[in-house]
Amino acid sequence: MTQEELNKITVAKTVDARGTACPGPLLEAKKAIGTIKSGDVMEVLSADEGTKADIPKWCTKQGHEFLGTIEESGFFRIFLKKS
Amino acid sequence: MEPKKMCLGLFTGSVDKLTAAGVILSGAAALDMKVDIYVLLQGARAFKKEVGDNADALAMAENPDLKDEFMESLRNLNVKTWVEFFREAKEITDVKVHICGLAGKIWGGENLDDFIDLADDICGIGAYLSSSEEADINLFI
Repeated sequence: MTQEELNKITVAKTVDARGTACPGPLLEAKKAIGTIKSGDVMEVLSADEGTKADIPKWCTKQGHEFLGTIEESGFFRIFLKKS
Repeated sequence: MEPKKMCLGLFTGSVDKLTAAGVILSGAAALDMKVDIYVLLQGARAFKKEVGDNADALAMAENPDLKDEFMESLRNLNVKTWVEFFREAKEITDVKVHICGLAGKIWGGENLDDFIDLADDICGIGAYLSSSEEADINLFI
């Protein structure tokens, strides 16, 4: 998805994991995904560079759809859709 | 789909390597892997009730003179302790911690009660090797 599309997307849940280093954000995402419905979009906020690569790989393994990342100043907004 | 299996031979009783093991366990938990941990010699000491998360009782495997800085950095970065990592992984996925019987005895641990509550059972080397043979990922730390 383009950055514009990502900015407009309706997010069912935002996980703010900016206070934790790797592997915190991945584990926060893992815990939160169980609380949303299939087809819902989740946004993970992370200040950890590694999360940007970890979440797409995790989505592939778990069957969720990785939608894209928006880089803000000092953190990333990572979007995915639950399978 | 059958979950992927990870088998970890955990020889270390050092706080830096235990922390690394905890991070890897978190990754395995995020991927719903089934994990078997076999706690060997030095590792069994770290799982004793009187040690566990007591960093003062744990050595550093590398750069022992930098232990204070290392521990402070972990705190500043809001990194969990090794016991917290293990506990959280156990809450999320199927993680079993097996204490090697010989290792336990070396450190005065005869029974499961002598170890922190992360330990699931006392086992022999045969259990480790058969789990290792079946695992998709084998690690030795």
